[in-house]
Amino acid sequence: DPDDIITQIEMLDEGWWRGVGPDGEYGIPTDEEQATGLEKVIMKAMKQGEDPFNMMKPKHYAGSKADPHLVPSITNKRIVGCCVCVGEEDNTAVVWFWLHEGEAQRCPSCGSHYKLVPHELPH
Amino acid sequence: MAHQVHAYHMVDPSPWPLTGAVGALLLTSGLAIWMHFHNMTLLTLGLILLLLTMYQWWRDIVREGTFQGHHTPPVQKGLRYGMILFITSEVFFFLGFFWAFYHSSLAPTPELGGCWPPTGITPLDPFEVPLLNTAVLLASGVTVTWAHHSIMEGHRKEAIQSLTLTILLGFYFTFLQAMEYYEAPFTIADGVYGSTFFVATGFHGLHVIIGSTFLAICLLRQVLYHFTSEHHFGFEAAAWYWHFVDVVWLFLYISIYWWGS
Repeated sequence: DPDDIITQIEMLDEGWWRGVGPDGEYGIPTDEEQATGLEKVIMKAMKQGEDPFNMMKPKHYAGSKADPHLVPSITNKRIVGCCVCVGEEDNTAVVWFWLHEGEAQRCPSCGSHYKLVPHELPH
Repeated sequence: MAHQVHAYHMVDPSPWPLTGAVGALLLTSGLAIWMHFHNMTLLTLGLILLLLTMYQWWRDIVREGTFQGHHTPPVQKGLRYGMILFITSEVFFFLGFFWAFYHSSLAPTPELGGCWPPTGITPLDPFEVPLLNTAVLLASGVTVTWAHHSIMEGHRKEAIQSLTLTILLGFYFTFLQAMEYYEAPFTIADGVYGSTFFVATGFHGLHVIIGSTFLAICLLRQVLYHFTSEHHFGFEAAAWYWHFVDVVWLFLYISIYWWGS
């Protein structure tokens, strides 16, 4: 990224670097250099478009048999709250149900398809 | 690192809420004992315990966020909500004192002479030191914004300089206000004028001292490289608090110093 190039990079110590930012400013580290722990894991994942900690809204699916809602889970079942129904005139409640691994299930209220997808426990 | 599927921070058990509660208990009961029996032991003990609690609690937060990386985006969002809600509660705190002031000054009683300022009170000239104080706080608002931009742009030296200047301006305000308090021709015991003036400006001064302390901690952390150009919420919280202190002063100046004279 041409606006983001750091120059005059020098290594001060094992794992400790220093450089000059694109506008000539220096001295304050970036998250790229200094983030650690869970913050760093999430930062790296977000850079690759991944969301292992479910921070974002679930992806949008049609909910049909061919394009079911894919629901990640670290075990073999997860509670799902179907909001597709909440758009209809009289429906004000979210429809909750357990989604088990295996074939796609359908929401008991509106019939949208949901399929459990195994998800790695992020370390 | 804990094996969790969420991005939130489940804080480890900590003794500081307990020590803080005990400290607050000793402080309040100590205050009562001091007022009635002239003994400062309980009060001093409570103060020490409270100061130790604050130091260790906030030190732990720095460890969890900066050194261990627990302050992920959702956690930071929560901290932002928290600071905003806290400042909002402080706004309501000051609202009460402004209510008291306007209650007494809009319809001054016969005992005061039916006028405001009350008979016998010589108010401070709003265009002397109080106006200087206004300029000092407004300038500090500019320098703290300058510091923020310096941090975001990665310029360490400027960040340290502008933050230091902000703190110095804060100290200057406190010094000037202390002089005003010493030289004032009226005291807190001078009827409702004295009460409203000194309680409102007094609590404001306390908040200036708290804000300056918060900024000083941020200066120390900035020197120690804690802040990154994207993640520096501790500084943002201090800056929000400082702007709040500035706004309260503007209301004080307009209402009590200017209109109230």
